[in-house]
Amino acid sequence: MNKKEVFKLAKGFRGRAKNCIRIARERVEKALQYSYRDRRNKKRDMRSLWIQRINAGTRQHGVNYGNFMHGLMKENIQLNRKVLSEISMHEPYSFKALVDVSHSAFPGNKAAAAPKKEGLAVLL
Amino acid sequence: MAVNCATSSSLFISKPSNKPSPSSVTTTPFLGFSLAASTKPAVQSKRLFKICCHDKPAVIPAEQQWMFDDLTGPDVWNKTWYPKAKDHIPTSKTWYVVDASDKILGRLASTIAIHIRGKNLATYTPSVDMGAHVIVVNAEKIAVSGKKRTLKLYRRHSGRPGGMTVETFDQLQKRVPERIIEHAVRGMLPKGRLGRSLFTHLKVYTGPDHPHEAQQPKELPIRDKRITKQT
Repeated sequence: MNKKEVFKLAKGFRGRAKNCIRIARERVEKALQYSYRDRRNKKRDMRSLWIQRINAGTRQHGVNYGNFMHGLMKENIQLNRKVLSEISMHEPYSFKALVDVSHSAFPGNKAAAAPKKEGLAVLL
Repeated sequence: MAVNCATSSSLFISKPSNKPSPSSVTTTPFLGFSLAASTKPAVQSKRLFKICCHDKPAVIPAEQQWMFDDLTGPDVWNKTWYPKAKDHIPTSKTWYVVDASDKILGRLASTIAIHIRGKNLATYTPSVDMGAHVIVVNAEKIAVSGKKRTLKLYRRHSGRPGGMTVETFDQLQKRVPERIIEHAVRGMLPKGRLGRSLFTHLKVYTGPDHPHEAQQPKELPIRDKRITKQT
């Protein structure tokens, strides 16, 4: 692309990268590569953020994310993580209902007694 | 409880994005039961709402029409929420206080870091400070297990050759007890500009008093069962 287009894309860059064509061209190429890569990464990052938010929301009710999702799968509730995270933030009572549904379907593995190790004398 | 679940699940049925195809309602059993059986409204005043990307218009029950009347506001459900300035005003952050006597160092530091970063909140955002302030009192009474009291080393380097100083846990606790908890929590907070500003939300004091009574700090809720030193 010609210089005009390069400088248009180089707006906001640091130092000489916004003013000098040789440096700007390199930085703009890199920026476009990053934007290609990050359009794919954004989907991953968003999903990870939803999962973290759902985790925080369910832990407030004493259930962790893994057990919560397992319970939802068992009940065939096909809400996706985006919607679940929005519910956990904006509709707390509905979210509590979902947590209760999940908990009744799958209370967790600790209910099936984890045997205490006898080798440990003291915890410290 | 069952009624609650039914209403919340029927709430989700009518959202166009969740349905595989609006027309074949009876053939694809969503949520384990057919839609025709559950959400047939008695009132015949069903208004058809046209979505451009679907061929057939979606049918909305009358009691849920209010959700689809005004679509001019921001899309709360399809765009992931990002906090605005009014969602994290520094003066309205929660303050917590925790007594460090006979608590295991690492476990306490982990709980503190989670609350400072805001990871216990459903509104957690990694790029924004949504966390709380934490006050630690009785810092000199923090406990460690095993032989760490004499064997755990704290190192620092001045940058010049031969400028490494090594101290044991015991020596540092006699010299500057606050630094032990600060060092532990700083290692658990993110490193970077935001992490450094988060670290300023931790206040550590030796002794049982702290000057933050005006902030009305609450007791820090600790869920770790092994945080108190067992003897």
